[in-house]
Amino acid sequence: MLKFGKVGNLIFISLTYLFLWVPILVLFVFSFNTEGYPSPWSGFTWRWYEELIDSIYLWKAFGNSLIVALCSTLISCLMGVFLIFYAAQGGKEGARIGKYLGLFYGNMVIPETVLAVSLLGFFSLLSIPLGLATLVVAHTVLGLGFVVPIVYARFLELDYRLTEASLVLGATPTQTFFKVTLPLLMPSLITSALLVFIISFDDFILTYFCAGSSVQTLSLYILSMIRSGVSPVVNALSAVLLFISSLLVMIFFHLKTRSRIF
Amino acid sequence: MRFPRPPPSERAFSIGIPAMIWQVLFFYIPLLFIIVSSVVKVSETGAIKGFTFTMVAHFFTPTYLKVIFSSILLALSNVVICFCIAYPLAYFMAFTGKRFKNTLLFLLLIPFWTNFLLHVYAWFYVLENQGFLNNMLIHLGLIKQPLVLLNSIFSIMIMMVYYYLPFMVLPIYSSLERFNANLIEASLDLGATWFQTFRRIILPLTMRGVRAGFFLVYIPSFGEFAIPELMGGDKQMFVGNVVSQYILAEGTGSLGAAFTVVSCAILLATAIFFYWLMDRYVYVKVR
Repeated sequence: MLKFGKVGNLIFISLTYLFLWVPILVLFVFSFNTEGYPSPWSGFTWRWYEELIDSIYLWKAFGNSLIVALCSTLISCLMGVFLIFYAAQGGKEGARIGKYLGLFYGNMVIPETVLAVSLLGFFSLLSIPLGLATLVVAHTVLGLGFVVPIVYARFLELDYRLTEASLVLGATPTQTFFKVTLPLLMPSLITSALLVFIISFDDFILTYFCAGSSVQTLSLYILSMIRSGVSPVVNALSAVLLFISSLLVMIFFHLKTRSRIF
Repeated sequence: MRFPRPPPSERAFSIGIPAMIWQVLFFYIPLLFIIVSSVVKVSETGAIKGFTFTMVAHFFTPTYLKVIFSSILLALSNVVICFCIAYPLAYFMAFTGKRFKNTLLFLLLIPFWTNFLLHVYAWFYVLENQGFLNNMLIHLGLIKQPLVLLNSIFSIMIMMVYYYLPFMVLPIYSSLERFNANLIEASLDLGATWFQTFRRIILPLTMRGVRAGFFLVYIPSFGEFAIPELMGGDKQMFVGNVVSQYILAEGTGSLGAAFTVVSCAILLATAIFFYWLMDRYVYVKVR
């Protein structure tokens, strides 16, 4: 079907994936190097992995990132589900909230830097101290921008006859929502939860502005390590993180429901 | 036969409202706040003294307009490069190489889902003077002296494309996946060339994905400040860098707000313009 033929395709695809994977593989290989950046290969060692396990500050930052990501995922998914619950009461078209849903698409048109700067100004105006709580608030805003559009798009695709059948057979709207609608929405909800978790965990821009000086997350820790002469501990860390993200991608694939936004 | 729907209860309303309150309180009010603070004159005690447009006007000078222009250029070239790589890749995954699509998507998502600062760090390894790329090129005999690749517009561009590529691939792929392949066959059978088929059938029908990809890449890469700072060695100034410098420095907060508002307005105007351009020239009118 394509004009370039098999060889052209193969070359193009392999070049693209080389571009994507060479840096990561180089990073991974050099996590076993005895000497730090930027010296060439000089021998095999597990030393950096041992140092990684021993670095307390890094794990503290890791814990902070985990807390923020879990909290913001939980809050944004809960609020998102409640919003959809409200929509479900309005019938098939979700007529009552359809017009308000545009609110949540704003996140796509405003750069994250602008949101971060505005939130920083807002927090300092109300003299709210920056810390984990402000981070959770900021990341929840980010998360809502994913959860609501994705789950709502799936909601609109549901067969309304199922809901109607449930209502006709005597279930209350609440029962219908929890026994019929919510189970049907589950795959898209889990997908978006995973997405929000990853985005929050890896987020840099919002974190950079809204974390303040007292809290360090993994992104900020890595930044400080990159700025102050790097040690191969970062390589070891990236190997660990790659492993975690491959696991998450595998879960994502098992759900087999790709979100509608992507 | 239609059954009457149960009236929406007030309880349902109170349960649906927190998400909207959150969104308004922590998204729209801060945005409003930054717009207001860019035109408000504040005395040293924090009292509002009146309106002024001097701060906004301050940024309509060649120096700052150049920064905004180079940000637009950066974002636009990022979009174009990402599109040129992403469309064939998505096409391959959706049609030609359907068998490998899960493997390819898997391998695309793993780097996408790891911290992007690690990618920056990884590219240091590849691009530095004694790095992987230079060593390879010297080994192959293509160059004699190592090239200086870091701290240039080249390294910024590489990192931008590397980071934003999946944002372009995924929406295009999902619209191509739902595309009816029979249409391509029909078009080719009826005598259209390959290019005509692409231009008149495939591209217009997958515009939804292209548009989503455009927004997902163009908007954030306009405000990007970490990549230019880390990969460009602080040589090139973009909107994100100026904003972060103003905001994080002591006492220049409202100037930063004004610059954010000005550049954001220009960003939205250009985004709408490109959106219009895509609509205008992609759909071919049937005569």
